[in-house]
Amino acid sequence: MQFFGGTSEVTLSPSVPSSIGTGPLGSNAYMLYLFNRNGVCLLYKEWHRPLKTLDSNQDQKLMFGLLFSLKSFTAKMDPTRVEKGNLGVPLLPGEGCSFHCFRTNTYKLSFMESPSGIKIILVTHPKSKDHRENLRYIYNLYVGNVVKNPLYVPGTAIKCELFNTSLDQYIQTSI
Amino acid sequence: MGREVSESCIDALITEMVSSYCNRFYVNKPEVSARRIEAIGYQVGIQLSERYTVERPRFSEHLEAIKFICKEFWSELFKKQIDNLKTNHKGTFVLQDNRFQWLTHMSINASAETTDSSQQEPHSPNSTTLDANLLQATSMHLYFPCGIIRGALSNLGIPCAVSADASNLPACSFVIRIKA
Repeated sequence: MQFFGGTSEVTLSPSVPSSIGTGPLGSNAYMLYLFNRNGVCLLYKEWHRPLKTLDSNQDQKLMFGLLFSLKSFTAKMDPTRVEKGNLGVPLLPGEGCSFHCFRTNTYKLSFMESPSGIKIILVTHPKSKDHRENLRYIYNLYVGNVVKNPLYVPGTAIKCELFNTSLDQYIQTSI
Repeated sequence: MGREVSESCIDALITEMVSSYCNRFYVNKPEVSARRIEAIGYQVGIQLSERYTVERPRFSEHLEAIKFICKEFWSELFKKQIDNLKTNHKGTFVLQDNRFQWLTHMSINASAETTDSSQQEPHSPNSTTLDANLLQATSMHLYFPCGIIRGALSNLGIPCAVSADASNLPACSFVIRIKA
């Protein structure tokens, strides 16, 4: 696994067109998870996942645990930090040290955590570009369609139609 | 003109107001909560119309006052004007807003959704019941703007009754019936 810290990654391969994935819709995105502060999985979407090793509950718990540990690990191993940072607490973007993606030879996992503890994970084709802006856009979709929706109960799984349709549209066109 | 508040705060406040009245204060008594919410809107409408007509002369006729509501009043509240105004010239006016701001984020929970990528069929047999649920949920949120319109008009000297219809989200139409 390659870990990418705060600096921009250097890729030697030429820039890829936006849609080279092998998913059924031709998009790059394979899976998407959305967790809240307490580890409840608010949203799980998959577009291309032929291999399923665990049942969904365990899979989500594993993902949440992994990210929590990875964040703590990257913060502890930060060689540039002078004072001890706050571990386990969601940070403002740009503050502290938080990883944002890792890549294997078969997939790339991009991660974003908002200051309110909402974690967005996007698993895509390994040669796709940096997804930080995409994750930020997805977070804004979440705020606009879910948080501001009077009929949504916070802390429960997201089933809002508006959110789902706009998310699907965005994923298919821009990732 | 003084201090400002973010729009999200107002949206959240109104959402919480409707939710409190429906789910905590008057559980299972939707007519009472509706009346209370409309009364709050009435007060707000009176005060807002005072504020927004400070430098204007009195309105000569009902149509002028309704046009004021459609243009200046609505743009002060929602930064846009009413898109369509219809009247039968006998005291009934229909104001249509094609994208009513307080309803833009409203969307129901689809009942049995799979987590795969399949899109929902547009004509599933459940669509009518989902629409009915949505209608019921949105109707509670429409009492506040109805109250605002009623309060604004009655402060301008036009007692009336206001009802709303949001069968086509996010478009919404308000029907004003002026008491003769």
